[in-house]
Amino acid sequence: MSSKIIFGKWEGTVLLINLICTQIILGFPRVMTEMAGTAAWITIIYVSVIMLVAFWLISKLYSRFEGMDIIDISQIAGGGILRVITGLVMTAYIMYIISIVLREFAEDMKVIILPESPISFVTLFFVAGMIVGAYLGLEAIVRLGAIFIPLITIGFLFITIGVSPYYDMANLFPVLGAGPEKIFGEGFFRISIFSAASILFFIAPYIRTNRNFKIVGYASILISSCLFLWSVLSYIMVFPYTVSIENFLPIYQMARLINYGRFFQRVESVFVFIWAATALLYLSGAFYFIIHIFRKTFKLEYEKPLIAPFAILIFNISLLPPNLATAIQLEEEYFRKYIWIVTIVFPIIVLSIANISQKRKKGERKGEKAVE
Amino acid sequence: MKKPLSSIVRTIIIFAMLCITLTGCYDSREIDDMAYIVAIGLDTGKTNKLMMTLQLVVPPKIKGGDGGGGGDAEEGSQIITLEAPTIYSGLNMANNFISRQINLSHTKVLVFSEEFARNGIADLVIALPKGREFRPTVNILVAKGTAVDYIKSVKPELEGNPAKYYELNNISHLHTGFTADTMFHNFYIQSKSLSIQPVATLAGVSKYKSPEDLSLADSTYKDKGRPAPLEGDFKAGSLPKSGSVQSEIMGLAVFDRGKMVGELDGEQTMGYLMVRGKFNKAYVTMPDPIEKERFVILNIRQARKPNKNIKMVNDKPVIDIRIMLEGDITVIQSGINYESPEKMSILERGYEEFIKKGVSDFLVMTSKDFQSDICGLGSGMKKKFLTWDQWKDFKWLSRYKEATFNVSVDVKIRRPGLTIRSSPITSTEGEIYAR
Repeated sequence: MSSKIIFGKWEGTVLLINLICTQIILGFPRVMTEMAGTAAWITIIYVSVIMLVAFWLISKLYSRFEGMDIIDISQIAGGGILRVITGLVMTAYIMYIISIVLREFAEDMKVIILPESPISFVTLFFVAGMIVGAYLGLEAIVRLGAIFIPLITIGFLFITIGVSPYYDMANLFPVLGAGPEKIFGEGFFRISIFSAASILFFIAPYIRTNRNFKIVGYASILISSCLFLWSVLSYIMVFPYTVSIENFLPIYQMARLINYGRFFQRVESVFVFIWAATALLYLSGAFYFIIHIFRKTFKLEYEKPLIAPFAILIFNISLLPPNLATAIQLEEEYFRKYIWIVTIVFPIIVLSIANISQKRKKGERKGEKAVE
Repeated sequence: MKKPLSSIVRTIIIFAMLCITLTGCYDSREIDDMAYIVAIGLDTGKTNKLMMTLQLVVPPKIKGGDGGGGGDAEEGSQIITLEAPTIYSGLNMANNFISRQINLSHTKVLVFSEEFARNGIADLVIALPKGREFRPTVNILVAKGTAVDYIKSVKPELEGNPAKYYELNNISHLHTGFTADTMFHNFYIQSKSLSIQPVATLAGVSKYKSPEDLSLADSTYKDKGRPAPLEGDFKAGSLPKSGSVQSEIMGLAVFDRGKMVGELDGEQTMGYLMVRGKFNKAYVTMPDPIEKERFVILNIRQARKPNKNIKMVNDKPVIDIRIMLEGDITVIQSGINYESPEKMSILERGYEEFIKKGVSDFLVMTSKDFQSDICGLGSGMKKKFLTWDQWKDFKWLSRYKEATFNVSVDVKIRRPGLTIRSSPITSTEGEIYAR
């Protein structure tokens, strides 16, 4: 919790990869297929390129604010009011997604392995993980992630490559799927799949230099793009378009298919491991940032007293959707379509204002010196 | 200042929490509280929509592995039949009189009766993937006659465990080529595809009780213009065999629009596997190209995936298929030295013609008789379209009945077996079977 915490590029990158790519083990491959059909993979390449361009712009704008997070930058841009607005907007954004994802994880756990357990009971286990993570702090979360994210990625690759006997390249045709309008028009809004990259603004003080900021940003976007691309490609190759839009947990459905002889089957247990580990790392990481942003926004001295109230709040909000279908709709229909405005456009505006404001201040100082 | 908890108190708290969380929760279910179903049979019901037959394993009576023990296969399973409107309502009813809770996570086969399959199984197939316990690797069978009779006939003597019998039987196509991998996942995605139609393994109960009863009445050899049947000229239930194993699988049931529309015998199934590129290996018997009354046998395998080229000529599909096979000589009854490089090509050409005719007849049958693209030839056509809507509007499956086929087969003999040269058998009258 102390600002003295410092971690490296690797830890920063895996933290962002975890936050960005968690959606893969939820409904991501299906959502992309629903939108672009057999051309979902083209949409991913398209939005990844847009995101890289957006990050190039962001890193240019950020270059004057080395070691600062977006709250500090808002303070420079618009004083206390903009700082509070930025803080509240970012807190609300993370609260929204973490509540829905918490509900989805708990519901999925109930569907997959705990059908008899009440949803609140299952949710409590995840909330407990979030609380423990927040108490231990960011350093513990990122260091644990640095160990587990590579293992989770290996598990993910194991499942997606393990179903290779079911691959059918013909499933990738017709090559333009739902059509260019959907891929490049509606597909643009899917830049929101990278919304969690905005957390980079909050880990900037921990990774210190602008160079590290750029390396972590580009690396996490590129690696996440590759994982997104591979998840969708492997999914479509296994499930043709007409069936790919039915599965609510695509990677789990793929894991259920792995069957090598009489002894190597029922590999979905690997999925349950990577799934629970990803959930706990994602939820504890995102939850920590809610506490951190809220404390910094209102310049509070301590973070730990905020943990319990926010945990109770998120637990209750997560139980508000009446069913799993509503929770999925809240994530996929609204959040994943429009959140890019909050996570990409809003920081660009704040950074632009801060840049103008700094230039103006410099100009004023130069003017004062000239008068002197 | 508050005193921190001592390490002993903390340890006790952690252990207490672990005891509560790890020793059981809402979902704890003991394995011996479960009744595992290995086979589900579905026939048309008399009092309700479905007549459902469940084959449950009786774990204490299943033969163990190396240790042996337990009872025989018949004792190792229990069969019950009931009538219900749907599969899950039937399971609910069965749970009333079976002491243990029914579990589908070890189900190996789902058997539809032929009558049921011909009336349509789409509504049942659509409902199945939602079930968490129902696995996509379950094999789909269509029983000639009734499903209940087929399941009752499964009394394997080599396998004490009926689940193992089904598992091994389901993969027999890897060394016979007379059935195919018809797991539920494939059946389901093909049922919903615009470029391929599904198939199911054909199952049946042997008609013959003793060797005296054997007949060739149901063999398909006459339809093919052969003087005598080869091993692939049969469908399940008509194999000329008798013995304690009454259950059989051989051939495929062909589906279109969720209904069974035809059957393939063993040889046609081999053609299906070759066209799909899923043929592993099998012994293929053929009349000797020179000595027509003798047989030659190659152990054939698919060398490469087949090349398929589909084009539209006068708005009708023209499909070119090139099948590449390789094989080892297993039997030459005539004693002709086909192992020699000069004569080997005679055998290769003979096999090419033999397989080409079989595959061509099979493809024409799927197009003209069944009007069902079970080989997924539409996948090649799909690549020529840019968007899904264009492909959908093309309506490939309804155009398939107009397809014409140009099949070419390439057979390469690689090895002569353990002998490098065939020589004649001699007798007091001189050499016989030798040219």
